[in-house]
Amino acid sequence: MEQAVFVSKVENLKYCDEDFSRLYFGMEFCERLIPDAADLKKVISFVNEKKIDFTLVTPYVTEDGLERVERLLGTLAEAKPGSEVVFNDWGMFQVMNDKYPELIPVLGRMLNKMKRGPRLLNVLDKIPLESVTYYRSPSITIPEIREFLLKKGIYRVEFDNLFQGIDLERCGDEIKKTLYMPFAYITTTRLCLTALCDRPDKVKEVGITPCGHECQRYTFYLKNPIMITNLIRKGNTIFFCNEEIPDNLRMFDRVVIEPEIPI
Amino acid sequence: MKILSPLDSKEEVGELIQAGADEFFCGLLEETWHRKYPVISINRRPAGKGHFRTFADLKEAVSMAKEHNAPIYFTVNEHYYIDEQYDLVLDYVKKAVDAGVSGIILADYGLLTVLKEMNLSVKLQVGTGGTVFNSQSARFYQRMGASSVTLPRHLTIDEIRKIVENSPEIEFCVFIINSRCVNVDGFCTFEHGLSDQSCFPLYRNACMLPYHISLYPQVSAEERDMGDIIREHRFLERQHIWETVHVDDHPCGACALYEFREIGIHAVKIVGRGNTLERKVNDVRFLRTILNLLEEENPSLIDFRKSARELYQNTYSRPCRMHMCYYPEVMEMPA
Repeated sequence: MEQAVFVSKVENLKYCDEDFSRLYFGMEFCERLIPDAADLKKVISFVNEKKIDFTLVTPYVTEDGLERVERLLGTLAEAKPGSEVVFNDWGMFQVMNDKYPELIPVLGRMLNKMKRGPRLLNVLDKIPLESVTYYRSPSITIPEIREFLLKKGIYRVEFDNLFQGIDLERCGDEIKKTLYMPFAYITTTRLCLTALCDRPDKVKEVGITPCGHECQRYTFYLKNPIMITNLIRKGNTIFFCNEEIPDNLRMFDRVVIEPEIPI
Repeated sequence: MKILSPLDSKEEVGELIQAGADEFFCGLLEETWHRKYPVISINRRPAGKGHFRTFADLKEAVSMAKEHNAPIYFTVNEHYYIDEQYDLVLDYVKKAVDAGVSGIILADYGLLTVLKEMNLSVKLQVGTGGTVFNSQSARFYQRMGASSVTLPRHLTIDEIRKIVENSPEIEFCVFIINSRCVNVDGFCTFEHGLSDQSCFPLYRNACMLPYHISLYPQVSAEERDMGDIIREHRFLERQHIWETVHVDDHPCGACALYEFREIGIHAVKIVGRGNTLERKVNDVRFLRTILNLLEEENPSLIDFRKSARELYQNTYSRPCRMHMCYYPEVMEMPA
C-alpha cells in the first residue's frame, strides 16, 4: 500500500516525513488558491531531494484559471516528467491530453460523484437493497466507463472515505483506486460565504466577489442533529472528517493522508 | 435567443407555448425505477411532482409541441449511474427517442460515451451537471458528441463571454430564473428528497437546513472581550444566510439578457420542473416580455436594465436582491 501526504501550501511540507513515498500538492476547490510556479518549483526540489514521487492536484477552473494551471503543467512537464496530475475538470484533462503526454492524468475526487452527504446514513436501513448498492458504488462499476477511462490513458481514480462505505468489488483491477483520509469533500461553491465574512456590511452580498483569502484564517463548524457528524466549512467548500479505516482498505492501492483540510 | 421552459405534462404544452416558450425540457418517472430507487432520482428531480408518468403522454406532448416547432428535450441527467441501473437508463433513452424527443440532456460522461456509440437521431446535450467552467471542457464534451452545453450557475457574465467566444462550434444555454443553487450543482454530493415533507430535516435541501455554527479559531474565554464577541457574531451572521432565505424565492438573471444576446447565447433556461403551471406560465411570460422589448426595441443598456427591474418588481412583487440575482455584477450598474 502506497502512502501519500497531501499539502496545499509550501509551509505544510513539514508534514511530509519518512512515512510517505509520494507527495500530493495543489488545490482542488478554488482557482484563487492555485499555487504559483515558484512554489511548484520549491516543491519539486523538495520531492527530488527526498526521492519520492509527485502528484500535482488541480481544481475546476474558469478560462482565466485554465491559463494559470497550464503554466504549472508546462513547468511540471519540463521539471519532472512522469509526474501525476489529478484533474477535477474535463477541460484540464483535455489540455493535458492535447499538450502534455509526459504527465499522467488521474481522475480527481470531484469527478467521482458518489453521494457524500452524511444525512444518507439515516435512510440506509429503510431503502431497498438496490438503493443501498447505488450509494456504495461508483460509476466505474460500468464496463463502458472503465473502457473509456483506459482508452484515454486514465488508470487511477480518487475516492473520499465515505460513511456509507465504498463497494469496489465490481470495478475491475485495471483502474487503480486512491483513498483520501480523513477529510472528505461534500460540496463546493463559487458563492463563497467565507469571502468577506468579517465585513458586516456584506452579509447578503453573495456572488463571485473579491476576497481577502479569509479561508486561510477562519474555519466554520456546522452542526445539525440530522447529520451524523459536524460539517466543516473551509473556504468555499464543505467537508466532513472520517477517520475510520474502511474494512475493504485492501481494495485501494494508495492512501492519501490529509494532515489539514486541503484549502 | 430561445426560452427553454420546464414541462411536466402534455396538458401544459399549449399554455406555455402561448406564454412564449420556445423549447421544453422534461423528465419521466416509471414504477420500474421508483420501486428500486425511491429516493434516488434518474433525472435530478425527486419522486412526486415534476415528471411525466408514461411515454405515451410524452409522445403526445412531443406531437403537440412540434406543431409549434418547439423541441422537447428529455433529461437523464443524474450526476452518475451504476452498472445495475444502466439497462433501465438506456431503456428510458430509447423510449424517449421513440416518442420523438429532439434531444437528451445528460450530465455523466459515461452515458455520453454510450449514447454516442448508439448513433441516436437526437441531439446530445450536456446539462449543468457536466460542470463546464471553461472552453476546453466544452471542447471535451463536443469531441465526445455533445452539440450543446448548459453552463453552471456559478459563472460571471464575463466568464461566460470568454467560454462562448472560444467555443464557436457548440451551443450554450444559461440559467435565467429560479433555484439559484447555493453550491455548484455538478459538484454537489448532498442528496435531495430523502423523505417526504413529514420529515423536514430529511426533506429540506441540506444547504438550507438550520445549523449551529461555530467559528475556529476561537478566542479563549479568558482573553475574550466584548469586541471579540461582537466580531464573532458578525462573522457568523453571514454563514446563516441560506437558512434565512429560500433559494427559490424568484431568483432572476433577466438583466443579463442584454449581454447574453450580444454574446450569442442560444437559450436561457427557466428552472422549475414540479412548479405549478401558473408559476411556469408567469415565468415564461415575464421573460418573453423582456426579450421582446430587447429584440424589437433595441433599448440602451441602461434603459433595458431599468425596464427589466421594473417588470421583475411588478411580476414578482419583490425588489431586486443581490443574493437572489444570478449575475449580481449587473447590480453595480445604475438603472
